[in-house]
Amino acid sequence: MKSVFTKKVLGILQLLRRNKEAIIGSIIVFVFLLIAAAVAVSKLFGVQITPYNPLQQNVGPIAAAPSLAHLMGTDLQGRDLFSRVIVATPNDMAVSLVVVGFALAGGAIIGSVAALRGGLFDEALMRFTDVIFALPALVIAMAIAISLGPGVTNMMIALMIIWWPPYARLARGEALRVTHQNYIEAARLSGAGTVKILFKHVLRGILVTLLVYATLDIGTVILVYSGLSYLGLSVRPPQPDWGEMVSTYQDYLITAPWLPVIPGFVISLVVVGFSLLGDGIRDALEVR
Amino acid sequence: METILQTVDLRKYFPIQRANPFSKVKKFVRAVDGVSITIWKGTTLAVVGESGCGKTTLARTIALLTKATSGDVVFNGKSIVNGKTDPKQVYRDMQIVFQDPDSSLDPNINVGDTVGEPLYGLMGWSKDAIAVAIQRGLTAVGLSGDMADRLPRELSGGQKQRVAIARAIGLQPKLVILDEPTSALDASVQAQILRLLLDLQKEFILSYLLITHNIAVAEYLSDFMAVMYSGEVVEYGETSEIMAKPRHPYTITLISSAPIANPWKRNLLQAEIRGEVPSAIDPPSGCKFHPRCPYADTICSTENPKLREISTGHFVACHFVEKTA
Amino acid sequence: MTRLLSVQDLSVCYESRGGTVTALDGVNLEVSENELVGVVGESGCGKSTLALALIGLLPTPPALVSQGVIEFKGTDLVHLGPKAMRDFRGTQIAMIFQEPLSSLNPVYKVGDQIAEAIQIKRQRENGHGPVNSDIMQKVHKSVPPDGSKLPRSKRKISGELREKAIASLKLVRIPDPDQVVDRYPFELSGGMRQRVMIAMALSQEPALLIADEPTTALDVTTQAQVLKLMKELMDKVNTSVLLITHDLAVACQVADRIAVMYAGDVVETANVFDLFSKPLHPYTQGLLSCLPTGSKNKVDLKPILGNVPDLRTRMIGCKYVSRCPYVMKTCSEKKPRLEGLEKHEVACYLYGEKNGNHPTNS
Repeated sequence: MKSVFTKKVLGILQLLRRNKEAIIGSIIVFVFLLIAAAVAVSKLFGVQITPYNPLQQNVGPIAAAPSLAHLMGTDLQGRDLFSRVIVATPNDMAVSLVVVGFALAGGAIIGSVAALRGGLFDEALMRFTDVIFALPALVIAMAIAISLGPGVTNMMIALMIIWWPPYARLARGEALRVTHQNYIEAARLSGAGTVKILFKHVLRGILVTLLVYATLDIGTVILVYSGLSYLGLSVRPPQPDWGEMVSTYQDYLITAPWLPVIPGFVISLVVVGFSLLGDGIRDALEVR
Repeated sequence: METILQTVDLRKYFPIQRANPFSKVKKFVRAVDGVSITIWKGTTLAVVGESGCGKTTLARTIALLTKATSGDVVFNGKSIVNGKTDPKQVYRDMQIVFQDPDSSLDPNINVGDTVGEPLYGLMGWSKDAIAVAIQRGLTAVGLSGDMADRLPRELSGGQKQRVAIARAIGLQPKLVILDEPTSALDASVQAQILRLLLDLQKEFILSYLLITHNIAVAEYLSDFMAVMYSGEVVEYGETSEIMAKPRHPYTITLISSAPIANPWKRNLLQAEIRGEVPSAIDPPSGCKFHPRCPYADTICSTENPKLREISTGHFVACHFVEKTA
Repeated sequence: MTRLLSVQDLSVCYESRGGTVTALDGVNLEVSENELVGVVGESGCGKSTLALALIGLLPTPPALVSQGVIEFKGTDLVHLGPKAMRDFRGTQIAMIFQEPLSSLNPVYKVGDQIAEAIQIKRQRENGHGPVNSDIMQKVHKSVPPDGSKLPRSKRKISGELREKAIASLKLVRIPDPDQVVDRYPFELSGGMRQRVMIAMALSQEPALLIADEPTTALDVTTQAQVLKLMKELMDKVNTSVLLITHDLAVACQVADRIAVMYAGDVVETANVFDLFSKPLHPYTQGLLSCLPTGSKNKVDLKPILGNVPDLRTRMIGCKYVSRCPYVMKTCSEKKPRLEGLEKHEVACYLYGEKNGNHPTNS
């Protein structure tokens, strides 16, 4: 089985190489992931990797425009914006990857089990999916913020609760297609039970479609999470967060534009990076 | 001769889906409507018919992929329908080769693992023993052993079908159900597969249940033939006899419409065919073929004829079979 | 017999991700008046590409006619512009496809679609130039005045167009034509849909009807009915038929002549009786000996070994070299031309003046 997987990954990488957008996307994503990892590790060891302490005030003049000393300028408390932006990276990365990963896994299982079992079970699961789908992200996030308190982890939980339904629907559709293939019956004739068929054949068959959707979806999570942190539901000051920075500094759009614009731009950049990568993967796989 | 498989008045009815799941179902699709056939060891029984006649449903019911509505299937001397026997026991001796080579193989699993799947699931052999068996299987179907690492998309249609055959015969089953094994293949590849099936049958003493709409393939490969129409067997006997002298009016229609590769025998242009295959939900009363039959009379619309032995081993279900002598 | 269609040296390539595929590599074919020519070949031999090229429906971004001539009634169709080609398509050359469900528009009634075909022909005959897009409106104008208030599904075309549509359906022996004319395609069986296609195609009274695997998706008995119908209508409507099929048996049942294709080439053409009694090309011989024509005890099936070559690699010489039992040195050097006497032509170095073997001698 391992060789099949590596074959596929190599195949995809080869095809991606031809696609310029995918290359740009992968580079952007890779850089951000690297930064996120670096920040996370550094936090673990208590090492500072940013030029300035992101929480320390007055490391430079107040609200200074970008310069060589402060690549992204300073904020109203004299903190280095560049350091704050860097340190805020793991938030968005972690939230989006965890939420999408959970939605993918959960949705895949729910959707495929519904498709395999069929009948009333399928109906019930899908109606449950529809109910969750109807819940508005914002309201749930606020409810969680009120009951459990705000914070990055809690917002992650809020999003995890409501993010999986489209994956379940997608998974169910794909699983239905897969289960109509003869090789599923051949598996039954090989003594495989429903569980074995699920894990050996169905999940593998639907994985590609879900993965493509997921890569394109990560950008959306980042945007929604940024919106939540813009509303003040995630980090507590003085911890930095991109969405929170856009919110806090939006009034200074004219007077100190780098303050809201740079974090906003960084959000867009990450989203674009994932979108390009997702598009590239989808194109690469479609042609196959 | 030893009997491998027997179906006894086997029926499979599908309820018509109702708009809401709580209404009482009244109508059924009578896909298999009382079929009794026998397969002897080392022989091939071809079940022939057109779309909707129930031959595929018959095969799937025998293979326990759908639950029989009534009737029995006796395999290896034991009744196997409706949970009377553990399917795993059945599958050690019964396998299927499907029609569409693209759909038979999991595109994410390599050839070796596909061929070995029944061995893993049913035989409990060691990994090494299975690896050896996989190599033997691939060689037996004319593929090279190093194909085990390939993925289905790297193979041609004919090669994929060979893999499907290798998977089916790996555990040397007693019965192999061939569901339109060559319909999706080109003529030259079809010939290769037919030869292969014949050779394997001789080598491993396999019995085949051949499901097909292709009369030429049925005639070539089979020893016995059952002609199905609208869920029932209308004629049954030795292939050579049925092909030479078909007696049921539908069989005559069917065989005379099968194109013969011989421009001096233009049977197609002389064939007299009326009407079309009937609905499976509301079949005609009495004999299901009567609206299209040139010999039909009053009794044909009221009473459904049963299979009668008209000569040794040759059965026909027709009230006026003497008219086709 | 007068020559209707003459394809000379036609080559068509497709640009694909894997490279350039030479779907047709210098194909030669002739169809005369009132003749049924069967084009037989396995998958990938180019027969469908040939059909599309003849009717001018090749998707021209990926496909390209790189050389050759399609001479139809004296006009070269290859160099015709799209507007001029439309005059031929549907009226002089008609086509029916394999899957009638996707060839018929599911939202229009059968009668409407036939009437549309008739209306188009009329417009062209009256010299109204290219067909305008509101043809269906004109068809529906023949709905009686108070009928136009009914929902579209309840409207019925009336008058002359309706009579003609019913007459078309009668011609293809559809039972109860006056009812079928108001039905939708999904209400009909596969065989009936295919007959509707034939009715639509023949209502134009084309000189040539191209049928691309018209019966492959049908049951055996329905196939027989449709083929028989096609053969009978040929005389009535004075149409020639180019029947494309992978099934040699089907072809030999109805064809006057057969052209055998392999990997983008026509390798042999002959009168159907000559082809079966004296198959010349090794591929034709191979094809004939691998058809199951009887019980396994009587017939020794000889499959052709090997596989069809990959059309992405440009091949010099005869494409059958890897599978031919008689392969010689010249075969891989230069591709043999299709030539012969008395309308039995073959592209093979086993025959020809150089070897002193005329096709008619062997």
